Amino acid sequence: MHRFVRPQLMLRDSKQPLLPRAGHLCTNHKSVVSSVRGYVVLPPTSDEEEKAMLHRMMRVDHAGEYGANRIYAGQMAVLGRTQISPLIQEMWDQEKQHLRKFNEILAENRVRPTLLLPLWNIAGFALGAGSALLGKEGAMACTVAVEESISEHYNSQIRTLMEKDPEKYTELLQLIKEFRDDEMEHHDTGLEHDAESVNLNYCHDRMSCMNYNIKIQILNNSNN
Amino acid sequence: LCCGYWDMAALIRGLRAGRVLRGLGSVAVQTLSPQGSNVRRAFHRTILLQLVNDSKSDTSVPPPSYHEVHTAGESSSSSAHGESSEDAQPNTSFQDQSGEHGEDYETEEQLQARILTTALEFVPQHGWTVEAIAAGAETLGLSSASTGMFNNGAGDLVLHFVTQCNAQLAETLAEQNNQVQLGQAESKKTAEFMRDAVEMRLRMLIPYIDTWPQAMSILLLPHNIPGSLKHLSTMVDDIWYYAGDRSTDVNWYTRRAALTGIYNTTELVMVQDSSPDFEETWAFLDNRIKDVVNMANTAKEVQATGESVVQGLMGAAITLKNITGMNQRR
Repeated sequence: MHRFVRPQLMLRDSKQPLLPRAGHLCTNHKSVVSSVRGYVVLPPTSDEEEKAMLHRMMRVDHAGEYGANRIYAGQMAVLGRTQISPLIQEMWDQEKQHLRKFNEILAENRVRPTLLLPLWNIAGFALGAGSALLGKEGAMACTVAVEESISEHYNSQIRTLMEKDPEKYTELLQLIKEFRDDEMEHHDTGLEHDAESVNLNYCHDRMSCMNYNIKIQILNNSNN
Repeated sequence: LCCGYWDMAALIRGLRAGRVLRGLGSVAVQTLSPQGSNVRRAFHRTILLQLVNDSKSDTSVPPPSYHEVHTAGESSSSSAHGESSEDAQPNTSFQDQSGEHGEDYETEEQLQARILTTALEFVPQHGWTVEAIAAGAETLGLSSASTGMFNNGAGDLVLHFVTQCNAQLAETLAEQNNQVQLGQAESKKTAEFMRDAVEMRLRMLIPYIDTWPQAMSILLLPHNIPGSLKHLSTMVDDIWYYAGDRSTDVNWYTRRAALTGIYNTTELVMVQDSSPDFEETWAFLDNRIKDVVNMANTAKEVQATGESVVQGLMGAAITLKNITGMNQRR
């Protein structure tokens, strides 16, 4: 069992990004893999299977954030001049932050990005723009559905990691939990802003959910 | 996986002390109780009965007069040497050997690696074949029947060589990277870095260049393709990583595809190049890299032009909207 020195959890406002800690050493490993900011998210491992699993998780998450980014971009493209635009912009900025973080992780750990990125680019933008054309409620309904799917996905990842070894994956768990909380926040924001007032919300809900779930499935299967 | 190899150590010890027969392990095999999936391995190991690579306990074990003991000149650690030479029970049960004797003992993979490395010396003579492996095994003092360990025969030899070359390349690139990070060397531009890395890697083929076409065709055999592709992609990824590529979008794929193309074509050119020190190959490499750089620049220009065009069109559209009064805030 690899044991990491448990870093101190810092109290922080959920809106702030994960603050860097001083680099820490795993007492059983001879080397520290550290990023420019001085801390590690993926635990270094020599087990090929585990590495493949972690890489796959990061690849899917990266693709998910990339897609979410494009969805908000699509929404802004249509609703960018309306009252709702500051809200969408704020949510989009948070997603950009998430994407930046995953870009970092992928680069540091030499994880291959998914080949389907151009597809998610177009599909995400289309979904965002399409839902926004239905009005502000449509955009919010899309947000609710997508964020719900993303939260589900993150939750299942958290469950997987907790089942394996909570201590080893402390940082990773913390990161995913933080992102999942952000996504839940977006979900609640969408609900607040009359997402449920739309009658075709149900269809739209299912469609966005389905769309997102299909995306996750494809990614999971293609990268296995 | 490793704990299954420790019984080899006991085997070697017991058999060495018990007057090893050359080449045949039937007696020894019967005295061992096979352990499930290790039966095949145990059989293979008994073929290596005259594994003697211990300079230390040479004197204490009198070699039987009817077989030669070869001592190879390697410095790599081998199994069982350095152990106290008890002429103990010949059929030592190996249940008590579980994993305590760590680094002194060689795993099967290490042994295979050693054989293959030695076999490389015989490639110019025998080609990339099982004969080369047999010659290598014999140099190490093992029976030539130990080629039975290699299910893939010549494929194993070629893949081992490729792995070795790639590891060497990665090491050198990492070393250069360190130097740059420490400020002891200047970082190269991407094109130059690519060129040097590919040249370095291809130069490792020079000693075997005459037989390399044979090796290439072995790598193209259907059952070898997954392995060779994996090695190729790892090597290309390494080169790009040390060149500084940290892209996380589709560029990741286009860059690696480009480099794979460059590497493969240059390799083909090198194989039939007869100029002094492969000058033509390096010239070809230069041109290919220039091509890719040009393509990348062109792509960038096209994109910039495209963006300007789009902006121009948007401007025209907005002007139209203004004129017709459609452009109002909702």
